[in-house]
Amino acid sequence: MKRHSDSALGIALSEAGISRRDFLGFCATLAAAYALPASSVGAIAAALEKAPRTAVIWLSFQECTGCTESLTRSHTPSIEGLILEQLSLDYHHTLQAASGEPAERARAESMRANAGKYLLVVDGSVPLGNPGYSTIAGVSNVDMLMETAKGAAAVIAVGTCAAYGGLPAAQPNPTGAVPVSHLIKDKPVINVPGCPPIPVVITGLLAHFLTFGTLPELDERGRPKIFYGESIHDRCYRRTFYDQGKFAESFDDEGARKGWCLFRLGCKGPVTYNACATTKWNNGVSFPIQSGHGCLGCSEPDFWDVGSFYKALSMPVTPVGKAAVGAAAAGVAVGAAVALANRAKKAAAKAVHQTVKVEDLEKKP
Amino acid sequence: MESARGVRRPRHEQEAGAPQGGDATARDCRRRPTTRWLLRPGRRAREQERPAAARPRRRAQGAGGLNAFKQVIDAPVASFFASCVHCGLCAETCLFYTETGDPQYTPIHKLEPLRRTWQQEYTLLGRLARLVGLAKPVTDAELEAWSPLVYDSCTMCGRCSMVCPVGNDITMMIRKMREGMAAAGHAPEGLVTATQRSIQSGSPAGVKWVTVQAQIKRMQKQFGISIPVNQENADYLVLMSSWEILNYPEYLGAVGRIFNKAGATWTLSEHAYEATNSGMQIGASDLARELVGRIVKAAEDLKVKCVISPECGHAYTAIRWEGPNLMGRRFGFEVKHILEVLDDLSRTGRLKLKGSIDKPVTYHDPCQISRRGGVHQQPRTLLRQFAPQFREMTDSGVMNWCCGGGGGVSANERAEPLRIISFKRKKAQIEELGISTVVTSCANCRVVIEEALEHYHMDVELLGLTELVAEHLAED
Repeated sequence: MKRHSDSALGIALSEAGISRRDFLGFCATLAAAYALPASSVGAIAAALEKAPRTAVIWLSFQECTGCTESLTRSHTPSIEGLILEQLSLDYHHTLQAASGEPAERARAESMRANAGKYLLVVDGSVPLGNPGYSTIAGVSNVDMLMETAKGAAAVIAVGTCAAYGGLPAAQPNPTGAVPVSHLIKDKPVINVPGCPPIPVVITGLLAHFLTFGTLPELDERGRPKIFYGESIHDRCYRRTFYDQGKFAESFDDEGARKGWCLFRLGCKGPVTYNACATTKWNNGVSFPIQSGHGCLGCSEPDFWDVGSFYKALSMPVTPVGKAAVGAAAAGVAVGAAVALANRAKKAAAKAVHQTVKVEDLEKKP
Repeated sequence: MESARGVRRPRHEQEAGAPQGGDATARDCRRRPTTRWLLRPGRRAREQERPAAARPRRRAQGAGGLNAFKQVIDAPVASFFASCVHCGLCAETCLFYTETGDPQYTPIHKLEPLRRTWQQEYTLLGRLARLVGLAKPVTDAELEAWSPLVYDSCTMCGRCSMVCPVGNDITMMIRKMREGMAAAGHAPEGLVTATQRSIQSGSPAGVKWVTVQAQIKRMQKQFGISIPVNQENADYLVLMSSWEILNYPEYLGAVGRIFNKAGATWTLSEHAYEATNSGMQIGASDLARELVGRIVKAAEDLKVKCVISPECGHAYTAIRWEGPNLMGRRFGFEVKHILEVLDDLSRTGRLKLKGSIDKPVTYHDPCQISRRGGVHQQPRTLLRQFAPQFREMTDSGVMNWCCGGGGGVSANERAEPLRIISFKRKKAQIEELGISTVVTSCANCRVVIEEALEHYHMDVELLGLTELVAEHLAED
């Protein structure tokens, strides 16, 4: 990938023809996302303008390149894209011009030169089965990850595959795919799930790192709370129909045309935590629900294994099988057996009852 | 009301004990010196009646007690124990807890051996736990240790059952637990003696028919009325409690004057004059059945329309609510409390009252009559007709506080110190009103309160409602 000069972000922006107004607008968006006061917009801009270039190594394992596609194709030209360019993206399969040994050398050089300071971005899950399932330049994914993570300041797991295992980990998980957090325990791992994740989430995260030198607050699943703190459902513009009990029953009925809630068509919005409903996609044009399709829950763990996308959340994930019926029958049988045994015991107690006479009331001598 | 209603068991069971035992006060002694020994059956019995060696034993008592536990645990008891959420709300409703602050008096805790029996005998997990030795079996020694909790610190007043958020009738379970305690020989001596006297001589205080006859003569002379005996086809069969026969015979005179005025036919029975039921209080249904059976037989032999339970709390529970269940059938007559009858007569215009008490009065609700029996409006309707300055205590009606002597506690000498402490609640209620006249309708409450008033040197007058009504009959 083309390298910018070592100048700071501000210069790069002006060189690329991004106006000051646009840049401050981006900073304001970030300030709002991070719930900072309006007065901090200037501070963010100043910090970003002076931010030194940060080296980034991007590793792609068992993935589909959708995450990279999402990022690079998002807006053209965009401030997000430029911020990404502002980073010194020293190694990225899809984007780098070099190939073969020079490419691998670039990674080794960057690791040495920026030891302890570079960010490691990973997309794709890591197979722990046969190491041959996924290799790069003859090195297995797990070996490359462990080697590269050693000198990283932090690891950002981009996409649901890197964050939770993703489709490669779907039952029966033939490659033994695991998420990054399963392997890296000694340094911060930030999960940016989504299939793919929203571009501004990635850039927002990077901007936070560049501005404050720290990572934003994470939730219990390692996700930045600012983007993953609320469910799609709570932020959905169709929420009011849910509250009124107005549901589309099929994709071409009256309700669907009127834009009613898609809950009964399998929308996973209520259990999915992501920023789609607020930031939207394609430069804020739309998001799945707005386009008439329920949320798949692509940023949630196991979304690939929790049943049909078109089954309402209120339905059981797997059909009530023989096991459940058997368990219920067994419960009834045990209950009946206990009841019968209890009845017999009570009857026995009654049978041996000896009429209490007054002399029985006295205490034994 | 029909006797059939007795079969549907209300929140009831037992209470406020009757006259069998307890201490007569010094005042009582001065008033009725000849009967004082009758009121101390425990001591007298110890001294005179039962050489220890002569006690017959039929079986190991502990086993009988545990067997009785197994017998009394039915679906309601099982669901009560299963639904207890251990909130402890019942503690605050129990005057033995509120007046001592001792957590062992938490009502549901008093049932612990019964609860463990349920768990170990009737639940799957409990049985498994017992099988592998994880559950401590209930022992006879434990039952003995629990006796004071079950008999001394519970008057079966039913207040705890009122507040239980999951609807557990704790009082009913205490009644059931006493079945096992009594069968195992762990009932307190005072109650045992009272029960023996009831079975053997017809009255817990040993009152015989000749004593009743003497009081009949006295009342006939004093009020110039005639008191019918063994009269068939009367409207009402009037019962009395030992306390009334011995201490408050004016009750009989009052009933006579009221019925004469109202033109009702009534009678006493030579074979069933005693309304109290020690068998129920001690928790021996076999004996309680025999005692109720005597009344039922007499009433049906005389073909009366209605049996009137006297001013005695637990007697009402015994005849009205437990009676048909004990007998396993409906009665051929109605059962009413005297206050219900007076209220009926008043409503139909057969009972007219006049005059007024020129001082503030309050009403002490006997637990078995107001809370467990449902007769709490009638006394107020009656009182207001001649007591314009009637005032309610805090926590009156169905949420009243017990006098501290119900449920056989007054017959239990062992419980006396605790009973005196628990009276502090009633004392505070009376003092809060600043009133010196208290009306009630339970002879046992009357005796217990009178004793406690002496103990605390309180200058409060205690009156029976039926007697008050008789004193305010309109002459016309």
